[in-house]
Amino acid sequence: MKTKHARAVAGALIAGLAGLAFAAAAFAHHSFAMFDHDHQVKLNGTVKGFQWTNPHVYIEMEGRNAKDEKSEAQHYTIECASPGILNRVGWKFNMIKPGDVITVIIAPLRSGEPGGLLKQVTLADGRKFGNGGPAGQPNID
Amino acid sequence: MNASQTARFSGAALLLTAGWLGGALAAQSDTKTALDPRTMMTGQWNRYPEMGEQPNPKFPPPAAIPPPPLKPQFQAEYDARRKAVTDAEAKGQPLYTNYTACLPDGMPAMMMGMFPMEVLQTPGQITIIQEAYNQVRRIYMNDELPAPEDAEPLFWGHSSGKWEGDTLVVETIGIKTSVRFRDAPHGIQMRIHERLRLLSPDMMEDQVTVTDPEFLTGPWSFKYMYKRMHGYKINEYVCEANREMFDPETGGVKLRLGK
Repeated sequence: MKTKHARAVAGALIAGLAGLAFAAAAFAHHSFAMFDHDHQVKLNGTVKGFQWTNPHVYIEMEGRNAKDEKSEAQHYTIECASPGILNRVGWKFNMIKPGDVITVIIAPLRSGEPGGLLKQVTLADGRKFGNGGPAGQPNID
Repeated sequence: MNASQTARFSGAALLLTAGWLGGALAAQSDTKTALDPRTMMTGQWNRYPEMGEQPNPKFPPPAAIPPPPLKPQFQAEYDARRKAVTDAEAKGQPLYTNYTACLPDGMPAMMMGMFPMEVLQTPGQITIIQEAYNQVRRIYMNDELPAPEDAEPLFWGHSSGKWEGDTLVVETIGIKTSVRFRDAPHGIQMRIHERLRLLSPDMMEDQVTVTDPEFLTGPWSFKYMYKRMHGYKINEYVCEANREMFDPETGGVKLRLGK
């Protein structure tokens, strides 16, 4: 019985994962599994570039980990959703410019490279923007 | 029926009619037009329910799409692909797909595409535009479809539409075999049969049935639902700056970092 039950649970888990994979494919240009959504990082820094393009918008920034005083500044590439998704949640193509000082919360790349998926950006004027539904919410302050 | 009975009956009928009209008008007050599917499918539509949206009890969301009823000889390859996708996701190294490579998802996936879609009804033609990847399909009314072996393989295929009462019935053939809906293989005999109808001025459904005598044991049926977006303007979408690269080491996706 136990084995049967374990098998049923495993089956349900696999079906669930398969469903998730379809959901990810249906909502995004690519799966977000390459980002670590459980260990989010907050970065402070200066914008070096803002690329407003499909399939994704990118923020290039010189940033450091806001929660680690010993962290050193380095270049980060932050992937955002697409212009369409961002327009629908209130962004504007010109709201971020090189030189702006911003704070971002990201799901870092699992590869350990300096980049990640945006969860939330706080602009110099204090306004906060999410990255649309499919990218998910920040889980840290 | 005597005179007074007739009067009572007429009065009741009048009240019922007035009540029905009142209800119908109230339901349509946001569009201020009668429910005419020949003009009112025109507009911008979002998938329903949207991610995280609480569905309206009046419009139960469609059931999950079942797996394709594949013939046994195609099942193993399909299962292997699905397992590879799931394993890659679990490892954090998602597989590279045509969609990631900036190719449109084609039919029938574009009817439940990532982004809003626009329906345009013009004489003899209905045009559907999916915002993601600027996808456009043209449905020619009462058009004669070519034989499947003569249909040029395309992403959105060849579509002919006709009205059956209030339902727009569309037949589509000629989908490229590289355009795979939910990883299901298909051949040139595949037909996509759709029945689109308005459920209310602001709700629409598309009942889809896929048949393929070469690959499927029977019809593969599922339903898409849409909610009207008022005042929405479709965004331009050109997949111009893809940074998701194929990683030959993992077979997965690698993000190209900038400087």
